Amino acid sequence: MGPRIGVYVCHCGVNIAATVDVEAVTRFAQGLPSVAIARDYTYMCSDPGQALIKEDIEKFGLTKVVVASCSPMMHEPTFRGTIQEAGLNPYCLEMANIREQCSWVHGEKDKATRKAIQLVAAAVGKAFLLEPLEERRADVTPAALVIGGGIAGMQAALDIAKAGFLVYLVEKEPRLGGHLAQLGKTFPNLESVTPLLSKAIEEVEGHPNIDLLTSAEVVGVEGYIGNFKVKVTDRTTRRELKVGTIVVATGYDLFDAQLKPEYGYGVYEKVITGLEFERLVSSSGPGEGEILVKGKEPQDVVFIQCVGSRDKSVGQEYCSRICCMYTAKQAFLVKEMLPQARVTVLYMDVRAYGKGFEEFYDQVRGEGVIYRRGNPSEIYKKGERLVIRAEDTLLGEPIQLEADLVVLATGITPRRDSLKIANLLKLPRSADGFFMEAHPKLRPVDTVMNGVYLAGCCQGPKDIPDTVAQAKAAAASAMAPLCQGQVKVEAVTSIIDEELCSGCGICAEVCVYDALSLHERKGVMTINEVLCKGCGACAVACPSKAIKLSHFTPTQILAQVDALV
Amino acid sequence: MEPRRKGLKPAALVIGGGIAGMQASLDIANAGFLVYLIEREPSIGGHMAQLDKTFPTLDCSSCILTPKMVDVARHPNIQLISYAEVVGVDGGIGHFKVRVKQKPRYVDVDRCTGCGLCVEACRLKGRITSEFDVGVSKRGAAYIPFPQAVPLKATIDPERCVFITRGVCGKIPACKEACAAEAIDFEQKEEMTELEVRAIIVATGFDLFDAHLKPEFGYGLYPNVITGLQFERLSSASGPTRGKITLNGQEPKKVVFIQCVGSRDKSVGVEYCSRVCCMYTAKQAHLVKEKIPDAEVTVLYIDVRAFGKGFEEFYDRVRGEGVVYRRGNPAEIYKKGERLIVMVEDTLLGESVQLEADLVVLATGITPRGDAENLADLLRLPSSSDGFFQEAHPKLRPVDTEREGVYLAGCCQGPKDIPDAVAQAKAAASSAIITLRNCMEVI
Repeated sequence: MGPRIGVYVCHCGVNIAATVDVEAVTRFAQGLPSVAIARDYTYMCSDPGQALIKEDIEKFGLTKVVVASCSPMMHEPTFRGTIQEAGLNPYCLEMANIREQCSWVHGEKDKATRKAIQLVAAAVGKAFLLEPLEERRADVTPAALVIGGGIAGMQAALDIAKAGFLVYLVEKEPRLGGHLAQLGKTFPNLESVTPLLSKAIEEVEGHPNIDLLTSAEVVGVEGYIGNFKVKVTDRTTRRELKVGTIVVATGYDLFDAQLKPEYGYGVYEKVITGLEFERLVSSSGPGEGEILVKGKEPQDVVFIQCVGSRDKSVGQEYCSRICCMYTAKQAFLVKEMLPQARVTVLYMDVRAYGKGFEEFYDQVRGEGVIYRRGNPSEIYKKGERLVIRAEDTLLGEPIQLEADLVVLATGITPRRDSLKIANLLKLPRSADGFFMEAHPKLRPVDTVMNGVYLAGCCQGPKDIPDTVAQAKAAAASAMAPLCQGQVKVEAVTSIIDEELCSGCGICAEVCVYDALSLHERKGVMTINEVLCKGCGACAVACPSKAIKLSHFTPTQILAQVDALV
Repeated sequence: MEPRRKGLKPAALVIGGGIAGMQASLDIANAGFLVYLIEREPSIGGHMAQLDKTFPTLDCSSCILTPKMVDVARHPNIQLISYAEVVGVDGGIGHFKVRVKQKPRYVDVDRCTGCGLCVEACRLKGRITSEFDVGVSKRGAAYIPFPQAVPLKATIDPERCVFITRGVCGKIPACKEACAAEAIDFEQKEEMTELEVRAIIVATGFDLFDAHLKPEFGYGLYPNVITGLQFERLSSASGPTRGKITLNGQEPKKVVFIQCVGSRDKSVGVEYCSRVCCMYTAKQAHLVKEKIPDAEVTVLYIDVRAFGKGFEEFYDRVRGEGVVYRRGNPAEIYKKGERLIVMVEDTLLGESVQLEADLVVLATGITPRGDAENLADLLRLPSSSDGFFQEAHPKLRPVDTEREGVYLAGCCQGPKDIPDAVAQAKAAASSAIITLRNCMEVI
């Protein structure tokens, strides 16, 4: 008996039905060979829509299903699940994308309908030849690696460890704490960082499930979700760790203020960065908690925001998200420690968006800190003092401010070594240079690399609570495979015909997943089906046509082409 | 952990089925634990289901949300309890006892196929303000809030249904007559159940600021003054206007967006920033330009807070498309003929200006839910001065609460955008998973 195909055409409300004559498409499908039943429905993905498919599988003994609806990116997993529940192999499904590739991009109903008909014909052509594939599972090593021992890495490690799994926490520096260790007080609650951080460090160091490797670096990563092999070195030793999942928490660098030469950073001693200010006022810092510039208390302090943020001239278009508030806090501290001092903040927009931030910004202005809207054009020296030239955009006039101390609110940039980590883990980066999450809205801590998750500022600027939340989120993602003990492995993989393979290795060169290797004895290439993502690059590159991709075999694709032309 | 927790089913409760509650449920369920997800409305999805496109990538909101809703409904470890409310919580971490009130839908969900025949038949069809469309459309007393609702089941509004309120609706209620599945059941009663759970995640979301509280903007008085959420429904392809931005059939040619309506405004008791309005306004301004290219679009702002990934770049793009940003908060809106006049001081020019508009969109802010205090009492949770639930520590414990075993996800803790709400939900799930796994070890 040949295949019995069911075709389901979705209206997607009006998304498809307003532009495509879905009934005509259904009638056409009903007339195709091997099509046992064709139906249309408002929302195929809804519960009743799926129930329709399941009933038909039983009633008509369907062996293959075609759904003509949205992109398979959207609902392929849904419909695979549907037919699986009705007893079919999930790979006996083919989707025709008549929304993104048809109704959404075409206006004329006649032509759009004709195109939808062709797309459905192609899908049916392929469905005819679809073969069941086996979904496989791989065991998971019940341990995780966290790269980076700042607050993000520490939090992620703690959560995974508390859930009962072994965690290797690798930190480049000799001690934990990252940038947080350099800060004095937090905004907006003005809590001292030191006791908070010491407690967290103690917890990490004392946790029996955390194996802490300081002064150490990750130099090699092999494997895949569930079974990563990670090489770590410190000065003397080299270790190989086996882990199931990886959390990247490598943090950020600060913008180099010397790239804005007009502010004279590095030229004038009295121009410092925000982080230097933190050390200046810290009780453990050089001034032992007193603000002294060349031994004297400054009378006029000017803060400049957005240094290396929102500034295309230095290639930093994005906002660094924390500078408005750390500046407000620092301005407050100056007022608290030197009540007589005149404090001015030069800003573009004040972005006080977090819990209690606006209230704090209000409080700071109430303390007498003056906010003036405008970005300075230049800072120069006049005797012992500095002069800041700016345009006050509210008054609409140029101003000159004198100061004994200028603090530059330098922004957050990707780490200079982020490319190295990106290459090690095959992580894509977004246009701003930070690591890219799998989806900007719904998958903010996952990456396109299964088993690798992001925490903290390596994904983009964020403040402490957002970093902690994201770190815990990454921990939740990293824990799931460890809890399950097994992971699903992609069933669509490349298949090598050993008769045809000459072992030239061209396929291995194009494979970004390191899934191909030469079988020493046989002299042909072999594929690691767990590593293979089914991208098909090797199949295209193979000069001997020895590689085909399951679910996308030449005969299946040619059948689609035949139906189209 | 105390040994008396032995033998309990390892389960967690998630209160609220918006994007935060859904994400938290999925993460806990994926870690192998049972989750009871309680949603008070007939469908999960929350506010995100009402949105048109998301900023800054302009992804279609329901297109990315509905697969997740389906995931929640299908997950073998998630028990979805919709149209229900938590009415009592006893016990503590590891051994909470939660009383849940299942409100009667007057529809047998096992029989209902979601076909919508009752919705069509209802005598009040088109006469009741649709909550989902924020008043932009009308529904009947028998209704399905939106086509992709999960579960896709009809609900009969007990406050409006004439059969329930007056005891008569023709000879046989029209819905009952229309239902081929015989699912309409006016005998249904409220049911109480008790759940035993080890951890609780609160993901009850937010309300929007009531724009009537700024009478100077004329919301409710002038039909062409609408809120941002109403704009979303107008602009949505699955909304009542099929995505055409029209008012009484007319395309607006002059559109003014007003930011910080009920945010950063002590005069109405809302001092904080709502964190999402700058960007949703930028997105909406873009959508107007996209759909009505010759429209004049002006955004009135105090500070533009484009702080997230890709936000500043998007703000730049929107200005590049010709949207005019003017710094200033309007004093008043009044009517002049068919049009509206927005009076505002442009603080950059330092002068008063009057802007004509055929459509004014108010970027209303995020407020704590009206029933937040009730829930705070039930769970014995502290709230911060802004009325949102208070986290255990503002810096290092953003999702934990003072009450052990109770965690916060999403906007019930304070305004946040979708990725921050998702991250926080996953964070709350992490805390809950730790609790669940540690309770397990005792068994």
